[in-house]
Amino acid sequence: MQTRRDAAILWLFLILPVGYMVAFVGYPVVYNLVMSVQDVTLGNLATWDRPFVGLGNYVELIANERFRLVVRNSVIFVTVNVVLQIAFGLAIALYFENRFPGARYMRGLFLAAWMLPPLVIGALWKWMYAADYGLINYVLESIGLSDGPIYWLSNPDIVLAAVIAANIWFGTPFIMLLLSAGIANIPRELYEAASLDGAGAIQRFRFVTLPMLKATLLAVACLATVYTMRAFDLIWALSQGGPIDASNVLPLYSYQLSFEQFRFGGGSAVATFSFVVVFIVALLYVRTIRHEKAM
Amino acid sequence: MLRRRLLCASALVACLSAPATAQTTVDLWHVFNIETDMIHQAIKDYNASQDEYRIEPRVLPFVQLQTELIKAVATGDVPDLITVDNPVLVSLAAQGALEDLTDLVSESENIDPEVYVEGPWRSNVWRDQIYGVPRDANTIGVYYNKDMFREAGLDPESPPATWDELRDAAQTLAGDGVNGIAFSAIMSEEGPFQWLPFLYQAGGSLDNINSPEAVEALQFWVDLVESGSASPDVVNMRQYEAANTFMAGNAAMAISGPWELPRIEQEADFDWSLALLPVKADKNIRASALGGYNWAIPAGAENVDGAFEFIEFMSRQDVLQNGWDTGRLPPRTDITVPDPRWPEAFATFNEQLQTAIPRGPHPRWPEISKALQIAIQEALTGRKSAQDALDSAAATINPILQETPL
Repeated sequence: MQTRRDAAILWLFLILPVGYMVAFVGYPVVYNLVMSVQDVTLGNLATWDRPFVGLGNYVELIANERFRLVVRNSVIFVTVNVVLQIAFGLAIALYFENRFPGARYMRGLFLAAWMLPPLVIGALWKWMYAADYGLINYVLESIGLSDGPIYWLSNPDIVLAAVIAANIWFGTPFIMLLLSAGIANIPRELYEAASLDGAGAIQRFRFVTLPMLKATLLAVACLATVYTMRAFDLIWALSQGGPIDASNVLPLYSYQLSFEQFRFGGGSAVATFSFVVVFIVALLYVRTIRHEKAM
Repeated sequence: MLRRRLLCASALVACLSAPATAQTTVDLWHVFNIETDMIHQAIKDYNASQDEYRIEPRVLPFVQLQTELIKAVATGDVPDLITVDNPVLVSLAAQGALEDLTDLVSESENIDPEVYVEGPWRSNVWRDQIYGVPRDANTIGVYYNKDMFREAGLDPESPPATWDELRDAAQTLAGDGVNGIAFSAIMSEEGPFQWLPFLYQAGGSLDNINSPEAVEALQFWVDLVESGSASPDVVNMRQYEAANTFMAGNAAMAISGPWELPRIEQEADFDWSLALLPVKADKNIRASALGGYNWAIPAGAENVDGAFEFIEFMSRQDVLQNGWDTGRLPPRTDITVPDPRWPEAFATFNEQLQTAIPRGPHPRWPEISKALQIAIQEALTGRKSAQDALDSAAATINPILQETPL
């Protein structure tokens, strides 16, 4: 009797999250997949009865040089963001570990950047990047680092770097917070023991902090990848992906295809590409978390 | 219903005295967030004037209305009435997303195609069927800073009238921290909106987008940027941002439309005026852009009749005459605006409207527009020559126009 009730509760606890996943995650993913192999217009959007085009949307995308540019941009955007956000995040987290007066308070302040809406951050950076009257050019010119305005957002060779810099500024505080938590979990005794053995600051970092943080770092890298894969609002506000798609990334491109050009099939196909990447990273994340628990 | 009951509970007396007949709610989505737009007072007046329908407005940002509409179509729960940016209307209609209003228009006493300005009306017609009714019209001109003209030794009473004069004036006016002219060449509908007039002034056309005339028109913009008269940042400037730089005194001239007048009046603390877009001297063709919003009823709307009745209400003399208070021109020729604000600008924009050319109408306008945006940006950033950029655009646009001509 007792065990049967336990079993019922177990089933309930299993069905609730699985049902939630199927309804709110599974359905959109399947819906998107179906759309990506159909010819979808506004006229048939509300029905399922749409012409099947097989892999036509994908073939068309891959043949499109703009899509290839967007993929290239996305790879650069995500890689540079993840690497630098973790590097800066780790540096700042370690800095605040020094527990100088006001350290906790300052660390809290850092989070302000992360709490602002991305659209606001985009508008802010757009002002700072303005070539003729923006803050960044003004500073660079006053300290003699550049002798003419730099067209941060209108030069296709520079714009991706400018957008990446803004996004690093936006994303780093959160990474810093996660890594701080990881660092706080490292037992102090390890550092004391290392010091007694004559390890300097660099050696303590190399042989204590890094190995102990390995699992956290991997998990944070996965999270950062997923977050930057989704970047949309900030780029939208800064450059709308322009000029000539030089700062366009997959989610924004997918949105533009579907919602501006009514090419729903193409937009869904782009979304599928993003989904596959995010899904693989998410699996990796789950594995890392499990591994971390096992330790 | 539940809401009504709750309201009754909280204000029983008011409810008892209200008429017993149930009003039909007409859901209206629009983009006019400026309080003084004619729509707000008109909704109040309309709701007070009768008790069959009640207009429930929902204001959305410009870029979100289309997104929200697509979502609504996908779920099958559409509003009864929307405002649509005029180049997009035929795309929506051709995909079956809008109600055909042809019969309602032919029965209407107030809405007669004959009295509408041709461009705005034409943007609602697809394969001889009518899918929308113009709400307002706009076009663009050249705002200029008279103080800067005086300082540069230019005559503020005779603004540039030709391409050459505009180019020279912009060059003369450009200086330390000041651009001669600002315009919008951004990767959005706004870029082609501002460039297409130059294409037509040069004698070019969309169905021959890599012709020598078209190349000249694009080269004119490239020269403005390369000579330093305009900032390379124009490729990342929305129209309101171009107007911002003008109002802040960072640009001596700016290409923009009448919707900026309320802001310019408030924020520009210098002597300014407005000129027609220039002509190309050897061609002498007047052309401008046609912008504006149309009313349309999404396919499957519950209250088509109520929505259309409100469209008729919004098309009356006593409503449309108020559009100009926020810089919206009446789309009808039979509307008089008594004692218009900014009388000179009103005259200039009205004159400009006579030569305003609609974008499209074409069901695949967004794709045509995107190809133009890319060409404009490739040329302005120096990635490609004007000729090469337009050759690429032609490779996209020509097949589309062969399939469905303009």
